[in-house]
Amino acid sequence: MSTPASRCEGIIFPSADANQRIPFPSSDRSSAIPFPSSNESERILFPSVQWFSALADAMNRNRARQEQLGYVDCVAEFRVLDGGPGGGPVAYQVTFEEFAAIDVRETDPTSPADAGRADFALDASLGTWRAMIESIAHGGGRPGLDHTLNRLSHAGTPIALRGDDQLRKDTYFRFNQSLQEFFNASAGFRTAFSG
Amino acid sequence: MRQPFARPNEILPLPVTGHMTAEALASYEAYFGHHANVWTQILEENVARLSRGSYSLHWMDTSQANWGKRAKPSSRGLTYTDINRVAPYGEIPLVGNWPNFAPRGSVRDPYIEQMPVVEDYIVTDRGEVWAENVITLYEEAKARQWNATRDIPWDELTPLPEDLEKATSQLCTFLTEVEFVAGDFPCKWLYRIPQEFLEVKSFLATQVMDEARHQEVFRKRAIAGGGLLHASPGFEWALKAVLDAPSHTMGTYLLNLLAEGLVLSVFRSGEMIAKTHVDKEIFRRCLQDEARHVSYGVMELKGYIDSHANPAKAMEELHRFADVGELVILSAFTEPALIEPVSILLGGGLDKIDHGMEGMGKLWEMFIDEYIARCERAGFPRRERCRIPTRAPWLH
Repeated sequence: MSTPASRCEGIIFPSADANQRIPFPSSDRSSAIPFPSSNESERILFPSVQWFSALADAMNRNRARQEQLGYVDCVAEFRVLDGGPGGGPVAYQVTFEEFAAIDVRETDPTSPADAGRADFALDASLGTWRAMIESIAHGGGRPGLDHTLNRLSHAGTPIALRGDDQLRKDTYFRFNQSLQEFFNASAGFRTAFSG
Repeated sequence: MRQPFARPNEILPLPVTGHMTAEALASYEAYFGHHANVWTQILEENVARLSRGSYSLHWMDTSQANWGKRAKPSSRGLTYTDINRVAPYGEIPLVGNWPNFAPRGSVRDPYIEQMPVVEDYIVTDRGEVWAENVITLYEEAKARQWNATRDIPWDELTPLPEDLEKATSQLCTFLTEVEFVAGDFPCKWLYRIPQEFLEVKSFLATQVMDEARHQEVFRKRAIAGGGLLHASPGFEWALKAVLDAPSHTMGTYLLNLLAEGLVLSVFRSGEMIAKTHVDKEIFRRCLQDEARHVSYGVMELKGYIDSHANPAKAMEELHRFADVGELVILSAFTEPALIEPVSILLGGGLDKIDHGMEGMGKLWEMFIDEYIARCERAGFPRRERCRIPTRAPWLH
């Protein structure tokens, strides 16, 4: 299943004043990522293609921020080890190119071909992903100190960073801030969790 | 108290700056005097032509130029990759033996006899500098620059308990001490690399900028949080081992692949154990830069090994170098001024330092695994010969 994320049709050019600081999300949390009230939006199920597509859409709408952060060129796989049917694994790949997320798809977590397409994969239980997403929502777009991607993955647990090629795996570090902000955008909508 | 390496009366006097300047100036005058017949002829002809009110316009002759092949921008703008698609501008020579600044792809052959020779361009072998990802990394580096003054939410910095503040400041002191060797090392070689390898020189310039910013941000963090604490001899020996590496490839392996790979792990640990969002942001930004440098180190080493005329000899020399380099780098990564503050931060306080050391031990194995994996990715099998223990020395 493949659902291309919407490309940014109307490109938002950065301010003519190159030195103007784009607000750090935490400096004005209420305006950085608007958090809709429950009657304004439906919940989006996690994990699902729709959920990752919503993040991709949010990223692509905010091109000015992406241009400040810089290129992000990688294919990232996010696996929910117990988030699939019957509590089995389920995986989603997001393709990042330049300043956009250009493709979101569900992949077969047991397929070597699908796995080979990704530069790296992050594996975690539904509970771990849920705690991270809820922490981001609670922080208005910024996770708590114990719920950043790097914090959760550095020791190999509760998120495990996987990849057969160390050079490709290292793209997780090269684009870490962009990947963190990709997930931080989940504060912009409400999430329902499977299971 | 540590013993000094030399008694005061054994220390040689510093060079006399005034004498050196006079000597250097005399040498400079002699060089340009010796070649005056060439450059004064150029000057005289130019002045005569201008005095006659005539033009040369020889530079409009495109018969020997690669004129009219217009480079087309890609979606990112006009990158080195885009212009290198236009033949012959993207032909990177195996040996970069053009001896001066004349741009690769320009009309320059007719003028070679009149041009000076830059003796400093000694790294002429493409295999000593090139990496297949260097253009990608250069574009990425430019796009992902950040500003240590404005992009860190400094106004959110709040004091930590004294043990954690001291540990944070000591970690930042270590990083301030070590970061700019990754600027000085490329600087040392940058001017020795001919203009033929302009893409490599461009990338190295971004690395210098990155390291300036890292040195800046950690100095600022330490001084904003309490102050700089202790420098360490073990760090200094590791830095000297990098700076004194006998070749660009050897030094790049030691700096970018090994040392920066370990510092990347320190940055990731720093983000993991950070007690403030300010520190999280600092470490996350820095680890991205560091990972670029590591990626250049991996592929530069691979390019060197793959292109060497005598791979077995090259490999053995690299192993000999690594035998020394790994141990000297280990002298830094076992220093109490590094592992103790990290353990305090990891454990959550001075009273939990033992717990933090256990955690550090687990991370150690991961660091070494990644280092070995990067060596193997470069085609440099180091697993059997690695001098760094796979298990942390304090774990029995």
